[in-house]
Amino acid sequence: MARSMPSEQVQLLIAGYVLGELEPEEAAEFEQLLQRDPAIAQEIAEMQKVLEVSHGIEETPPPAHLREAILTAYAAEQVPPIQAAPAPQRRRLQRISWSRWAGGVAAAALIVGLGINNYRLWRQVQTLEATTSPASIVTYSLTGGQPTQTASVSLTVNPNTLEAELLAQNLPPLPPGKVYALWTVLPENAPVTVDDKSAVLTETFSVDPAGKVVHRFTVPPIYRSQELIRRVAISVEDAAAPQAHRGTPILSTKL
Amino acid sequence: MSADQSGNRARASMNQATDAELFQAAKAGQTAALGELYDRHASLVYGAALKVLNRPQEAEDLTQDIFLKLTKASYDPRRGSLRTFLAILTRSRAIDRLRSYTIAAQAVERSQPAKAEEIATNPPLEYAHQSEQSQEVQTALAQLSIEQQQVLQLAYYDGLSQSQIAEFLQIPLGTVKARARRGLLKLRQTLTNSIG
Repeated sequence: MARSMPSEQVQLLIAGYVLGELEPEEAAEFEQLLQRDPAIAQEIAEMQKVLEVSHGIEETPPPAHLREAILTAYAAEQVPPIQAAPAPQRRRLQRISWSRWAGGVAAAALIVGLGINNYRLWRQVQTLEATTSPASIVTYSLTGGQPTQTASVSLTVNPNTLEAELLAQNLPPLPPGKVYALWTVLPENAPVTVDDKSAVLTETFSVDPAGKVVHRFTVPPIYRSQELIRRVAISVEDAAAPQAHRGTPILSTKL
Repeated sequence: MSADQSGNRARASMNQATDAELFQAAKAGQTAALGELYDRHASLVYGAALKVLNRPQEAEDLTQDIFLKLTKASYDPRRGSLRTFLAILTRSRAIDRLRSYTIAAQAVERSQPAKAEEIATNPPLEYAHQSEQSQEVQTALAQLSIEQQQVLQLAYYDGLSQSQIAEFLQIPLGTVKARARRGLLKLRQTLTNSIG
């Protein structure tokens, strides 16, 4: 293998990380190390494999249905109650989301079993499932042309709570005094004040030296009306006055 | 932008994210991030659970429990790898479950052994799975000092924290740390050629 081995000190740090016991100051050093030398990731993976192989860890694929069951239950936990009235019931449903699912299946089976070809009843089951499904979480994926072809940003929004999370990768770190600005582009008839580019400054953020960031913030209420959002875009702006909107979009959702 | 397109791109960016980034994203409520973590590590968790519990349905239940509670777990992505955290957590929860089944099944008066007693009767060289290890792994382990093997086993196999190990073995914390790391590094060097 052509790759040179890291120094012993670095390897001991990697061992500490793989064993899950880095001290806080070591963790900071390790983080910098990872950012400076992406090849460390491969070394971590190999050290991890050694630990697992030498301790008899055997991977066994779980049954295929388990993935969906877990993700459905997890997604259901993420949707907060929207209306006050059904809150206690929703809470109970969230805790026993497996039972909810099973209950839905049982209800559907009952409909079939009784031979009641009742469209209205079937719709009720559908509506019940729709109101408790996590479909309301929206993800906007932003991509760019040159020179940000490899960059990607995803913005996940919960329209109910307006909580958002921005996950950026491979964005070039910016010089001091500059920030990335996230714009929400709206149609002319939107009930919101926009700038001369029909955009609302939604958030500013920076990335770490590796070009990454996970940033949580709150989006404006217009995100409750997804149909009004034409585009979500990112430009580089002056940190002192991002609202001036002098930059052009470097990443954007598709038009 | 269609939902499908957006979903595909989000998945592509998930594929490139590190475990630590996915953990943070899942913590923030992103189900897709938890899905990616599941794809990466479910076989590890299910395998570890099945090994202890030996019952597929129980292993499945535990796997579900581990992933559903993962984002609320006391995992610090800066201090260590998610895989190690998951392996230790799963094994420890599986043993807890096994113990509670055993207790429920057995006469109440049979008291459960304390963890320290179990460890004391479990000499460092006798890894429970030793018979299943390959000759190469056994040879590599044999090159470690007894002390290094003991600390690695207590940390990874028995899930003890370093301070618990220091207390249990009555040695300084720094010594525990050095033994574990040097032991693992030695294994890494010995097994370099046999690990893919």
